[in-house]
Amino acid sequence: MSEEKKKKKAMNRLKTMYALRANIDQNYERSVEAVKAGKPAAWSMVNWWESDPILKAMDIEIIYPENYGAVSAAMGRAQKYLDRADAEGFPTHMCGYARNGIGYAAEMKELGHIPPDAPMGGMAKPILLLASGALCDARIKWFQSLGRYLDAPVWAVELPHPGVEESQMPGVREKSIQFMVKELKELIIFMERLTGRKMDWAKLEEITDDLIEINRIWYDINEFRKVRPCPMHSRDFWSCMNASLYPAGDTKESLKLYRDMYDEVKERAENKIGAVENEKYRMVFGELPPWHALKIFDELAERGWNFVVESWAYHPPKPMDYSKISDPLERIATQTYQWMTGYFADALKEKEYMGYFAYPYLEWARTFQCDGGLFHPLLTCRTATNHLILAQDRLLNKLHVPSLIAEGDIVDLKLFDYADTMRKAVVLEEMMDHYKKVRQEKGFEW
Amino acid sequence: MTAQETKGLARAKALYQDRSQRAKELKAEGKKVMGYFCLYPVLELFTAFDIVPYRILGDMGEPITKADSCLPTIVCPFIRSALDLGLKGRYDFFDGVVMCHSCEVGEKAAHIWRIYMDPSFYHFLDTPHTVHQNAQDLFKEQILDFQKSLEKFTGKEVSREKIKEAVEICNEQRTLVRELYDLRKSDPPLISGAEIIEVMVALMSIPVAEGIALLKDIISDVRSRTDGPQKKPHRVLLWGTVIDNTALIDMIENVGASVVMDDTCVGSRAYFPLVEVTENPYDGIAKRYLVDIKCPRTFHEANYGGTKKDYIEDVSYRFSYLKDYAREWNADGVILQSVRYCDIHGYDTPGLQDYLNHIGLPNIYIEHDYNEGALAPLRTRIQGFLELIG
Repeated sequence: MSEEKKKKKAMNRLKTMYALRANIDQNYERSVEAVKAGKPAAWSMVNWWESDPILKAMDIEIIYPENYGAVSAAMGRAQKYLDRADAEGFPTHMCGYARNGIGYAAEMKELGHIPPDAPMGGMAKPILLLASGALCDARIKWFQSLGRYLDAPVWAVELPHPGVEESQMPGVREKSIQFMVKELKELIIFMERLTGRKMDWAKLEEITDDLIEINRIWYDINEFRKVRPCPMHSRDFWSCMNASLYPAGDTKESLKLYRDMYDEVKERAENKIGAVENEKYRMVFGELPPWHALKIFDELAERGWNFVVESWAYHPPKPMDYSKISDPLERIATQTYQWMTGYFADALKEKEYMGYFAYPYLEWARTFQCDGGLFHPLLTCRTATNHLILAQDRLLNKLHVPSLIAEGDIVDLKLFDYADTMRKAVVLEEMMDHYKKVRQEKGFEW
Repeated sequence: MTAQETKGLARAKALYQDRSQRAKELKAEGKKVMGYFCLYPVLELFTAFDIVPYRILGDMGEPITKADSCLPTIVCPFIRSALDLGLKGRYDFFDGVVMCHSCEVGEKAAHIWRIYMDPSFYHFLDTPHTVHQNAQDLFKEQILDFQKSLEKFTGKEVSREKIKEAVEICNEQRTLVRELYDLRKSDPPLISGAEIIEVMVALMSIPVAEGIALLKDIISDVRSRTDGPQKKPHRVLLWGTVIDNTALIDMIENVGASVVMDDTCVGSRAYFPLVEVTENPYDGIAKRYLVDIKCPRTFHEANYGGTKKDYIEDVSYRFSYLKDYAREWNADGVILQSVRYCDIHGYDTPGLQDYLNHIGLPNIYIEHDYNEGALAPLRTRIQGFLELIG
């Protein structure tokens, strides 16, 4: 028991995280109840605020199968759905979230209703599968493949992915945003036809502004993490990111909860209260964690590892001034484009041509003064893995920040070797101690 | 003997075996040689600028060693192989490189290529994944930006008339490829599947105009040849990811089937769609590349915008061209093949199998590691499949 207490003390979780997380969890249940009461539901995928505001303004319940994959994994209930997807003929190397969703949909079709043992009340049958072309374009094909089990139409909203240098060509930014605005207009026309409802433009304005404000506060919260000791651990980031990233539920409530969190993190930063009691190593985490083995962070916290920043893809965009953009669709498009390309100009200066995913690690390891990195390549996710060796190379060769690779998966728990990761962690500590001296010799600030 | 000294199929074989020979000769004569990845960097632009387009491919016979230092092993082995060759200097003769948003891994590998190889000219052509008008309009703009990059690089501008001429030239080559493919319709086919790969790889290593001359020679040779392929018990259609090496097809053709038709990107997928002649040539070009090339990386959906989905209608819409191929080339089975870790082909495979089963066309799905040595275990499966279809 006393050992157990010690472990809990090593990581100092934010109190405001619990309320925010509870709200996220309650949204699953509210969602199931809302659909039971007749509210139409859409399955959507993380789209970085591009399509979500449209659905929310039209009062469509949004269900996120990717997030459901994480929930199923965290509850140890994904294996059944993965096995089912395998049996359906989908290659086993494909996205764990997708295979979880495919297995779930196949079972739901077979039963004719939500599987009774489905985690968190399950995902209701959708009237629409809303795909996104952002980052992982294969996801559009995933939703298309769900047509085997669901008779809902697929709609896809795209996001331009210019290269770092090409993004600076005259007109590219404007053309990209105008393209996105057209995408949103077409989505609205389709949604009106599909649901027989009219877009509530006043509500869209309100939700858009809420999401922009949520992201601004969320960004500012994360800025406090540059302080020593870092007041907020990645565990709290992951527990709370969903209210921004998967903005189901009431945006006003999420906004209030993020504001509460801001106050707590600010207070911690001002009073030098760290998320880990004795912060020895400031760490960057690469990509999504093993949801089924999160306790590893407690064990690492006991060794003084404080995870002060993590993958770019789940962070909010750099704040900017949206006040001069009167059209809500253009505000939506601009925010998503800002998130996508916000680091490109800096990346170009350093001739780092992967301006998202890889470059932010470099910038953040510098500004958050990281000692090391723990990268978790996902064996079923190319998108979250492609850039990790590049990032590892850049951190070491440009900043003298070493990192370790611990392979695993977001859903399939068989693929993560907990004990081996801990063994490697000990070796990394020696490397971090060594490279700290190297950085000092070379005149780095940390 | 150099590729230049040979003709017809022999020249194609020589180019297949030593891809860069002709491009290096042309470079020595003062031409610019541009490497490009996947099917989307617009060949008409290279042609209009008198640049030698050279498709970046992999090498199934070359162990991947250097690429593992910048790209994980759990991604497409073809892309890893191509990157590996680049890092080993196989493509050092390029004057520049044009990459595109072919697929998710292709996009990331494009950026990695630039970081590690730092070519003197580089352009990344973003490529939408949907085909509706808004996406086509955006792609047209992206093609125009690509043209601006080439103008800056070459110091010259090209007119619309020049682009239209390039469309005609590229279309002529595509029409000749189809004519060559028609010679596979007879039983036995007049040209084997392995020879077709040699021709396709050769075409992707030389200027389009030279490819036209080569194709004319080959078609003439093949029509009159007496040493063509032998009749085999089965005729199969091959679908899937890139095949730029004869090893897999040789294996299939050695166990009792002629590969009489393909739907891969070093084959019909690259050449069958023509650019429609439009007043604004970029309209036809954007449509051809984005809509008409049937790669799983692009999202095609029946009745897009409809409020209900009919699954069989959808898979029929997406894959019925394969039924046409099977009928025209008289294939009695379909081999679906994919390199491991190709997500986009992976998502399409169950649906395609549903469709082929729906129309009663026997099929099998195989996965491989883009490695000559790893093909042996597949031999038994192919044999079993051929026995099964009778």
